Amino acid sequence: MLALAFRAGTADLAIAARHIVEVLPRMPLRAPSLAPAAVIGLLPFRGTLTPVVDLCLLVAGRPAATQLGTRIIIVSIGTGAGARLIGLQAEDVSELIDCSVTTRGLHMPEHAWLGDHLAEQPGLPQLVEPAELLPEALIALFTRQPAP
Amino acid sequence: MAQRDSQLASKLSYFVGVFLALFALFAFLAWRTLDQVRVKGPLYEEIILGNVLIADVLPPPQFIIEPFLLTLQLVEETDAAEITRLVDKGNELRIDYENRQEFWKRTLARDTMGDLMTVTSYRAAMEFFRLRDDDFIPAIRANERDRARRVLDQMQQRYDAHRYAIDEVWKLAEQRNLANESKADGLVQSQISTLGILALGIILVVVIMAWFARRAAATLSQRVQLVSDVADRVAQGDLTTEVPSTDDRDETGRLLFAIGAMTLSLRGLVTRVKQASVELMSTATEFAATSRQQESTVQGFGASTNEIAAAVKQIAATSQELLATMEGLNAVSGQTADLAEQGQSGLSSLDSTMDRLAQAANAMSARLGAIREEAAEITGVVTTISKVADQTNLLSINAAIEAEKAGEQGLGFLVLAREIRRLADQTAVATLDIEQMVKQMQTAVSAGVMEIDRFAEEVRSGVGTVDRVGGQFGQIISQVKTLSERFDTVNHGMRSQSQGARQIGEAMGQLLDGARQTSVSLREFNAATESLRDAVSVLKQEIAKFNLGH
Repeated sequence: MLALAFRAGTADLAIAARHIVEVLPRMPLRAPSLAPAAVIGLLPFRGTLTPVVDLCLLVAGRPAATQLGTRIIIVSIGTGAGARLIGLQAEDVSELIDCSVTTRGLHMPEHAWLGDHLAEQPGLPQLVEPAELLPEALIALFTRQPAP
Repeated sequence: MAQRDSQLASKLSYFVGVFLALFALFAFLAWRTLDQVRVKGPLYEEIILGNVLIADVLPPPQFIIEPFLLTLQLVEETDAAEITRLVDKGNELRIDYENRQEFWKRTLARDTMGDLMTVTSYRAAMEFFRLRDDDFIPAIRANERDRARRVLDQMQQRYDAHRYAIDEVWKLAEQRNLANESKADGLVQSQISTLGILALGIILVVVIMAWFARRAAATLSQRVQLVSDVADRVAQGDLTTEVPSTDDRDETGRLLFAIGAMTLSLRGLVTRVKQASVELMSTATEFAATSRQQESTVQGFGASTNEIAAAVKQIAATSQELLATMEGLNAVSGQTADLAEQGQSGLSSLDSTMDRLAQAANAMSARLGAIREEAAEITGVVTTISKVADQTNLLSINAAIEAEKAGEQGLGFLVLAREIRRLADQTAVATLDIEQMVKQMQTAVSAGVMEIDRFAEEVRSGVGTVDRVGGQFGQIISQVKTLSERFDTVNHGMRSQSQGARQIGEAMGQLLDGARQTSVSLREFNAATESLRDAVSVLKQEIAKFNLGH
């Protein structure tokens, strides 16, 4: 079992490889008008406009650093017909790590999206589920279907 | 003062008394005169008596009793001459009667009495006279006595009528006179009583006036007493007296005000004099102290002058020694000039060396510039390598993810992708090292360029300094050359200084004499100051007699 390690602000996090569609290099994006601040742009990807969220803005309140290690992780949330692709911009996206051994850390109800620690890896990154990572308002914004 | 006051009051009373006495005398005389001349008074009685006497003695012209008597006489008369005389007499009496009648007609008012007098009695009288002239006298002349007697009877009737009217007139006149007399008497009596009331009124007014005058005199004397008290106290030297102010603008009020103002200004004057005397005293004391201090200063000055004279002698000796030293210095300066010339020649060779150094620095600076450009190119290559490594890393991640999704079939590919990623990571680390080294090299080159630039600048300024030093050496040489001449001047100055010191010594002697004389004068001045202080003390004692109330 592999997971992609990355950093959002001060938090060392990891996403399981099965959720990941592709990793893209950082590129200049234009923020859609009147969108929430964390949504930094719409990315044309495989024929659709994929919304990109800056996890650094979401977690630490500051935009991600303009470095080569800063990349966009395209993940899929939802299943079947309701599945949507979302881009997550994070720092230090350069390592795939083994995530077979997990350990419970602190339980914080207000941050329930923070999952188990990968105890064997340096920095004790925490596994997160893309569907839980984002606030419900953003999830609703991205998964809502236009009226037929 | 009380005595003077009583004198004033008694004088006033005396004058009032005299006035009252004189007035009483006047009133008495007026009363007596009035009493004497009044109706039924003594004089009046006498005048009336005279009139009555005349009336009693003389035949009344308005009463025709006399003509009637003449006619009675004529009836019996036979002598022609006597008849003529009696007729003439009768004519005269008629003229008299008519004249008087004219007078009474003019005088009397047209009332009852006037009518009786001028109409009734007159008409009867005129009838009487007409009968006498027309019938009686011709009958007498014709000596017809019987006719004459008949006519006389008629005339008798007229006379009686006349007589009756006259009696009425007399009664009326008597009544009127009595009424007039009593009226006049009453008038005089009322006048006398009015006079008495008037006199009483005048006396009352005079008494009131006297009382007012006495009061005014009392106020006046009180004010005058106050003023004289204040003046007495001022004369004794008490200036604290407050003069009560008054609103009266009369003479005494003004006097009070003036005395108050005078006392105030006198107080101010004496206060100022007192202050002035105190200041004078302190000034005199200061004079004494200052002059004593000056005396000691003058004595100290004498001592100082002696010391100065000794010091001047030493100066003279020292200047002699300095003269010898100067000559030695002159020789040393000659040697200095030689040394400076040698230094100048050495400097010119240093100058050319400096120029070469500057050129070498410029060449070095250019080389370092080339090195910097090379380093920039290396940085560009390293950036490219970094980008490639990054792409490789990304590719390997995506490959690994795909392999993971593939499951068992992708395991081999997963290992390959991990190897590729490791190589890419190593490449990235190596490029990071190269980048770091190039950065250090660039920093070193920059520092070197700066150093070279600074060195070149220093070399340039060194060249300037060498030039300046050369110029300064030249100046030193020329100055040393002029020094010898200056030394001569200094020698001459020293000699004249020595002479001057001697002259100063003599002047000091004279100054000592002057100081001694000043000391004597100061002693005299001291004595004068003492006498001034004595005089001021006397003045202070005199002023102390004034009491200023503080």
